[in-house]
Amino acid sequence: MKAILSIVRKEFLQLRRDPRLFPVLFISPILQLLLLGYAANLDVRDIPSVVCDLDRTAASRDFLDGFVNSGYFSVRARVGRMEDIDRFLDDGEAAMAFVVPRGFGDKLAGGKPASAMIIADGAESQSATIGVNYATIIAGRYTQRVFLEKLARVAATGAKPVQVGAEVRVWYNPELRSRNFMVPGVLGLILMIMTISLASVGIVREKESGTMEQIIVTPIRPYQLIVGKLLPFVLIGLFEAVFVVAVARWWFVVPVRGSLLLLFAMCLVFMLSTLGFGLFISTISRTQQQAMFTTIFIIMPMMLLGGFVFPIENMPPFFQAVSHVVPTRYFFVIIRGIMLRGAGWPELWDQAVSLLLLGAVLFALSILRFRKKLD
Amino acid sequence: MSLLSLGCLRPVIKKEFRQIRRDARSLMFMAFLPAFMLLLFGYALNFDVKHIPLAVVDEDGSRASRNLVDRFRTTEYFDLKAVLPRTAAIDPVMAREDIRAALVIPPAFSDDLLAGRSPSIQLIVDGSNAMSGTTAAGYAGAILLSYSQRVTLDALERRGLTGFVVPLDTDVRVWYNPELRSARFLIPGLMAFILMVIVTVSTAFSVVREKERGTMDQIRLSSIRPLELILGKVVPYVAISLGSAHLVLLLGEVLFGVGIRGSYPLLLAAMILFLTCALGQGVLISAVTRTQQVAFLIAVLTTMLPTFILSGFVFPIRNMPAVVQAVTYLVPARYFLAALRAIILKGVGLGAIWRQFLFLAGFAALALGGSAALLRRGETERTPRRRGRR
Amino acid sequence: MPEYAIEVKDLTKRFGDFTAVNAVSFEVERGRIFGFLGANGAGKSTTIRMLCGLLDPTSGTASVGGFDIRRQPEGVKRAIGYMSQRFSLYEDLTVAENIRFFAGAYGLTRKALEGRLPWVLRMAGLEGRERSLTRTLSVGWKQRLALGCAVLHEPRIVFLDEPTGGVDPASRRRFWELINELSEGGVTVFVTTHYMDEAEYCNDIRLIHAGRIVAGGSPGELKTTVIRNPILEVSSDRVVDAMEVLQKEPWVLETSIFGTSLHVSVGDEAEGRRLVRERLAREGIAVHRLDRIMPSLEDVFIHKIEERGGAGGAGEGRP
Repeated sequence: MKAILSIVRKEFLQLRRDPRLFPVLFISPILQLLLLGYAANLDVRDIPSVVCDLDRTAASRDFLDGFVNSGYFSVRARVGRMEDIDRFLDDGEAAMAFVVPRGFGDKLAGGKPASAMIIADGAESQSATIGVNYATIIAGRYTQRVFLEKLARVAATGAKPVQVGAEVRVWYNPELRSRNFMVPGVLGLILMIMTISLASVGIVREKESGTMEQIIVTPIRPYQLIVGKLLPFVLIGLFEAVFVVAVARWWFVVPVRGSLLLLFAMCLVFMLSTLGFGLFISTISRTQQQAMFTTIFIIMPMMLLGGFVFPIENMPPFFQAVSHVVPTRYFFVIIRGIMLRGAGWPELWDQAVSLLLLGAVLFALSILRFRKKLD
Repeated sequence: MSLLSLGCLRPVIKKEFRQIRRDARSLMFMAFLPAFMLLLFGYALNFDVKHIPLAVVDEDGSRASRNLVDRFRTTEYFDLKAVLPRTAAIDPVMAREDIRAALVIPPAFSDDLLAGRSPSIQLIVDGSNAMSGTTAAGYAGAILLSYSQRVTLDALERRGLTGFVVPLDTDVRVWYNPELRSARFLIPGLMAFILMVIVTVSTAFSVVREKERGTMDQIRLSSIRPLELILGKVVPYVAISLGSAHLVLLLGEVLFGVGIRGSYPLLLAAMILFLTCALGQGVLISAVTRTQQVAFLIAVLTTMLPTFILSGFVFPIRNMPAVVQAVTYLVPARYFLAALRAIILKGVGLGAIWRQFLFLAGFAALALGGSAALLRRGETERTPRRRGRR
Repeated sequence: MPEYAIEVKDLTKRFGDFTAVNAVSFEVERGRIFGFLGANGAGKSTTIRMLCGLLDPTSGTASVGGFDIRRQPEGVKRAIGYMSQRFSLYEDLTVAENIRFFAGAYGLTRKALEGRLPWVLRMAGLEGRERSLTRTLSVGWKQRLALGCAVLHEPRIVFLDEPTGGVDPASRRRFWELINELSEGGVTVFVTTHYMDEAEYCNDIRLIHAGRIVAGGSPGELKTTVIRNPILEVSSDRVVDAMEVLQKEPWVLETSIFGTSLHVSVGDEAEGRRLVRERLAREGIAVHRLDRIMPSLEDVFIHKIEERGGAGGAGEGRP
């Protein structure tokens, strides 16, 4: 215990010695969350669009108004020829276009199937996916309306159109604020990046400066060294977690429906696994530079595989399997569960156990790798 | 700063290359990570909201209700994960994120249908992910519409009324990326991500390492100028990351058929301009830090998440609040990404993207000029030895 | 209590094809200053690192303070103090913070530390500089502080790997005084060096060359037993020329240059004096002085290496 404490004290002294580390550790996560919390937003509204009405009938105007008035699309230009659309999409001035061909109104009036065209800029695939979804739904509604009107005209037959209505209830986030989903995600990413990068140079730094040789000849045991190195990071990480959760809660007004205490406890569990990654990297690296590259190359795929924006269930089985070693995979379920869904221990214990297991394996590997030998 | 002499650079470049070659792991990472990420992007990541895990509470239990459930089950939008006995059973399952939507069919459903009354079902959507929530509700609405049409048409047919057609057929076309394939869309982002992070971090790191080891003063006394030293140290990383970027392009072509539609020289010019920006940012970071640890932290924090989130890579810039949009002007990846997408996917020329080039060049000039000034200041004014503090 | 503080038997360390230490055996008596001499790369540091438990030996056995280095490495660690070749304290901590940290690492009680802290400061001559950052200290001070930290826990055996590398002569003398103090206090000191003059301070010496021990004994023994042939010191302005001339003579056994003089090993003193004067006079090389001298340790070392036909590494060993 004494040995661990002396390492902890030494680590803190060293951290204090660098005047720039403090702002980096405590101010930058908050700044990042403030900035990125606003930026990470997939609410697609006012997609810049071009309208090309070649039909110019009441029906075509009616059809197009459905898109224009939906709030999802904002009309940047109305063009008279198909060719004119190219320019807007090429320059990126518009991301979608709606085209109504000549004869649209006549066909509809004559009971024949009419067609219309929706064009999306696939180079920005997330907006395109969402925009196309919205547009298809709007077009579907229009179709239904036309269909019902037509039925009404033949209502004399006695046939009554049936419509299955849906009473939609949105749980957990009734206003459908994208921010409520994204801010906890950004929070998890920031904590992950901070803690892995911080811990990854922890041991290798001593190897490089030669102080490790001096430590190895003391009776300190590998687990004492690892724990002593880790504790300051855990404390720093916990402080950071408190700060960023506070920003999420009070600045971004993301609700915390579950227990705040459980949330911090889970942050701790999460950081044990990320710090475990950092320390493991540190034990398998010879120089700080090597540790740094390894860290970057581990973090990059983890950012994408953890389920931050790309849903894990849409990935192929191989990548789904890989995602099991990504701590954010579990943490996102936990933090979104506690904050938005009011989930508690009964719902989240398996995620927490997975994180603890991941952390435990990484620590065991680090301690095994770190054999108190120079080779 | 006088002109750089290439003669001085050569030995430094050689030394760095040798060191990198010794470090097999880093080299392997640099070579294979981009390929792995591309596979990840190409096969694993997409924004599609499909396979939404769904639970069903069928309180009716009739043929009609089973029919409706089938409609949901047979689309790729929903995956039926659970059949629950009661509405109350939904909450715990949804809180665990095992399902994200639930369909509740009330007991009177089939009776209402038969009587020609319009029944109502309940759809519960997990709104925590706003995008997937909205889309799920939209899909469900569309399925219900087509189900209603089918039921009505069937009823009409039973009365001998045929010839009704679904009146409108929308033709959706996606330009530049017809299948909305993520690989196509994400390749430019991946290139920006890799180039930015590797070059900035390795630049900041290699300079601070010399500082931390105290070899910087020694170099200042030698004939190598600091900027030359930095360039020499960074050239190998620039070369390797350029290589990686090309590997990404090549794999994109071979695996995903993403060819470069525009001009290659223009693409190369954009990459080099962008690399200069990354390099400049790295030197700036090294100028304000003293230890490798802090340099690493700052470099990672200023490149990784901003390139991911603020560049328009994943999140559209036009959705961001004005203040945040203003900040994105400081993220060179923003311009690079726009230029790459335009060149690779749209095949447009300089005419459409000259603004991006201008911004990139401006950022590069600013960053390099700033770092050269900082380095020169360090050259003339001796850094005072730090005294012990009391 | 074991008879010897350190016992080494056939200790070998191979790195791939390269044998750094080749079947080395020796014993170190308790309370002695044991010098391990050799050129850079001769295997000194590798040996010391194996004895401290930093490296695993490829074969052979050794015990330190009665603990087997393979089976009881933690026992070894409690018994020894170690100071590595490279300065390895925390440069970004102050003097006192470094001492406190290592005290904690060795498990010293607070009370024990309060006693040792002033002792280390006094020993290192750092009184009043407790709050200085270690990186601002001169090399000599750093070395003394490192020694202080290595003996904080009052080990019975201290390993010092090239402790005086890069230190000015005054600091070196000061450092050796500290080593003597330790030894007088009953501590066994195992020290490696490539400075031959420092070896004179040791009670017992081993010369190591290319991973093998080539000679051993006290400095006095080594000088009198290894080299039986008389050595003549030739002072001249043209020592290099003189050496080239004399090397070719069959009656000259060995030559080596020491600054402005030349050491010449001959079979017989009187005969040698005559031949040297004659031969150099013929070449027109003026001889200022010609004396018989006691062989220095360096002469012993060179003799031993040339005897083995491995002249290569010897030159590097000179100060």
